[in-house]
Amino acid sequence: MIVPSVVLGQRAGAVAPSDRILFGGIGLGSRGTHVLSKILPLKDAKFIAICDVRDERRETIKSMADKNYGDRDCRMYSDQYELLGRSDIDAVLIATGDRWHTPLSIIAAQHGKDVYCEKPCSMSIEESWALADAFRRYNRLYQAGCQRRSGANFILCKDLLNSGALGKLKALYANVGPSVNWPPLPSRDWLAEEPLPPKQVLDWDRWLGPAPWRPYHSSYVRGGWRNIYDFHGGGILEWGSHTVDLCHWAAGLDETQPVEYEPVGTNVGPYHVNCRYENGVKLVMRDNGWDGALDTGSCSFKIEGEDGWVETGDKTKIEASDNIKPLLRPTEEARMALENHVKEFVRCIRSRQEPSASAAAAANSHVTCHAAFIAYQLGKTLNWDTAKHEFTNSDVANNMRSRALREPWRI
Amino acid sequence: MQQPAQQPKPAAAKPKPERPTPPPEFQEKDIATMGAAGLAAILKDPAASEFRKAKACMRAGELGAKEAVPALAALLDDEHLSVYARYGLEPIADASASEALRASLTKLKGDRLIGAVNSIGKRRDAQATAALVKMMNGSDAALAQAAIAALGSIGNAASAKELQGALRRTTGMTRMIVADSCLVCAERMLEAGQRDQALALYAVLTAPDIPQAARLAAMSGIIREERSPSRPR
Repeated sequence: MIVPSVVLGQRAGAVAPSDRILFGGIGLGSRGTHVLSKILPLKDAKFIAICDVRDERRETIKSMADKNYGDRDCRMYSDQYELLGRSDIDAVLIATGDRWHTPLSIIAAQHGKDVYCEKPCSMSIEESWALADAFRRYNRLYQAGCQRRSGANFILCKDLLNSGALGKLKALYANVGPSVNWPPLPSRDWLAEEPLPPKQVLDWDRWLGPAPWRPYHSSYVRGGWRNIYDFHGGGILEWGSHTVDLCHWAAGLDETQPVEYEPVGTNVGPYHVNCRYENGVKLVMRDNGWDGALDTGSCSFKIEGEDGWVETGDKTKIEASDNIKPLLRPTEEARMALENHVKEFVRCIRSRQEPSASAAAAANSHVTCHAAFIAYQLGKTLNWDTAKHEFTNSDVANNMRSRALREPWRI
Repeated sequence: MQQPAQQPKPAAAKPKPERPTPPPEFQEKDIATMGAAGLAAILKDPAASEFRKAKACMRAGELGAKEAVPALAALLDDEHLSVYARYGLEPIADASASEALRASLTKLKGDRLIGAVNSIGKRRDAQATAALVKMMNGSDAALAQAAIAALGSIGNAASAKELQGALRRTTGMTRMIVADSCLVCAERMLEAGQRDQALALYAVLTAPDIPQAARLAAMSGIIREERSPSRPR
C-alpha cells in the first residue's frame, strides 16, 4: 500500500496523524477561545470535539477548528459524557464558568483524560482537595490555566529568589482582584426573574449545573455570574488563583498553605488578607489596584527577601530594589506565557511528566485563597491546621469549607 | 475587622458593564447576620419567600444550626430549595442531620432522592449502608450510580464487599462508577489503616475487563502504596 509520507510523519516537521495529541473542549467562551488559539497552531496536536450547552458557541468553536485544519472533523456535543466517552480523545480543555471546573475535571479524569482547566479551578476547599485526589488517583495530568508560571518575567523573579540574590525569603505579596472590579465579598442576592429562553438556545438547568437553583436572568449568562457568590469566589479567588499560585510556585510552597489568615478592610475600597506560613514567611493578599502600585500590570506579585525585592505583572516589566536591578535582563518572551504553558502541557502528555501547574499545586494555592475568602466573610482571623485541613478556631469557618452541589451532581 | 494601615493607590478601574440591581425581595439583608432561631422561623414560615428560605438554609448550614434540621429536612422535596436544604444539612455535625437525610430516602424520588444520597455519601454515613445497597441494586440507573458513589465514599469493609459484588454484575457507565467508587473506597481503607483490604480491592480492579482508566488507576494505587514510606517493612 502506498500512503503519503505525512501519514507516517516523514515529511520535515510533519507529525503522523496517529501521533497527534487529540483534544476536546468543554465550555469555551472568550477565554477558552483564546487558549484554543494557542492549541490550534500546534503541529503535534489536533482539536476535534467541542461540547457546550449553548448552540452558537458550539458552532463558533467548530468553525474555528475546521477553518484552521481545512476539514470538517470537529464534532459537536451538548452532553459532556458523549465527548468524554470518545476513546480517541487524549485531553480536554475546560473553560466553563467556575462552578463547573472541578466536577468536569474529575469526570474527565475518570474517563482517563488529561485536563487543561482554566482557573479558578475550584469553588471550595473541599473541591480543591477532591480535584487533587482525583488526578492522583487516576494518574492523569492536570494543567491549571496558571500560565504565568510559564512567563519569562515571572520565571526570572522566581530564579532571583532561588539563586539567593534576594536573601532569605521574608514576605510574598499577591495582588488580588481590585475591589472596584472584584469585591472580596460577592453578592448573595438574586436578580429579578426573566422569561427563560428556548431550551435549544440555552438550557438553564444545564447552565446552572452544580450551582444552586435561582431564577433565570440573562445577565448571568452574559458573564454576570462573576461577583455572585453561588458562581464565584470574589476578588480573592479571581486573582488569587493567579497570584497566590505564583507566590507558592516561586517560593517552593506548592505543597502547603498558610496557617493564619487576618482579613483587613471592608467590601468597598482596598482590602488585604495577611497570612503567615508555618515557617514564618508572610503572604499578603492585597488589593493594589488593577496595575499595582508600581504599574507592573494586572495579576502582579512581589517577592521580598532580606537582601532585596522584586515585582512583576502582566505588563512584563520587572521592578526591583536597587541592588537587584543589575541582575535584571530583558524578558522578550514574557508575552508568550500562554503559548508556553499550553506547549508544556502537550509535552507533558507525551512524557507523562507532571506539568508545572498540577492539580496538587492548584489545590494548595486555591485552598489558601478559599481560606482567606472565608476569613474575609467572617471578618475574623482564622488559624488553619495544614495536616488536618481544618480551621482550629472557628466551627463556622469549617462549615464553610464545602458547598452542596445541586442534584444530581456530585464530586 | 481592621482597616488597612497603609492605603494603596486608588484602584484604576477597568470598564465594566452595568450590573442589574437585585430587587428588594431578592436581597439577603438581615438573614446574613441572623441566628439559628430566626433562621428556623423563616424556614418554618409558609409565607416566607423562596428566596428567604434559600438564604436561611445556607446560613443555617454555615452556623451548623441543629435547631434548623427539621425545617431543612422538610425542604428536601422542594424542586428549587432541595439543594439549599442540603447546603444546610451537610455541614451540621449533629446526628439529627444524618437521621433526617436517612429518613428522606423513603420519601423522595428522582433527582431529589439522588441529592439526598449524594449528601449521605459526603457525610460518610455508614448507617445508611443497607438502604444504599438496596438502591444500588434497583432498576433506576442514575439512583444506583449515586448510591454506588456514596458507598465508595463511606469506604468501609461492608461497602467494599457490596461494591465488589456490583463490579461483577454491572455494565457500561454504572460499571465505570462502581470501579471509581472501589478506588475511593480503597483510599478510605488505607486512611483507616486497613492496608490489606485496600490492596485486595485494588487487585480486583486490575482484572482485564475493568474499564481501562480505573484499571490503570488501581495499578498506580498499588505501586504508590508499595512505595509509600508508611508501608509495613
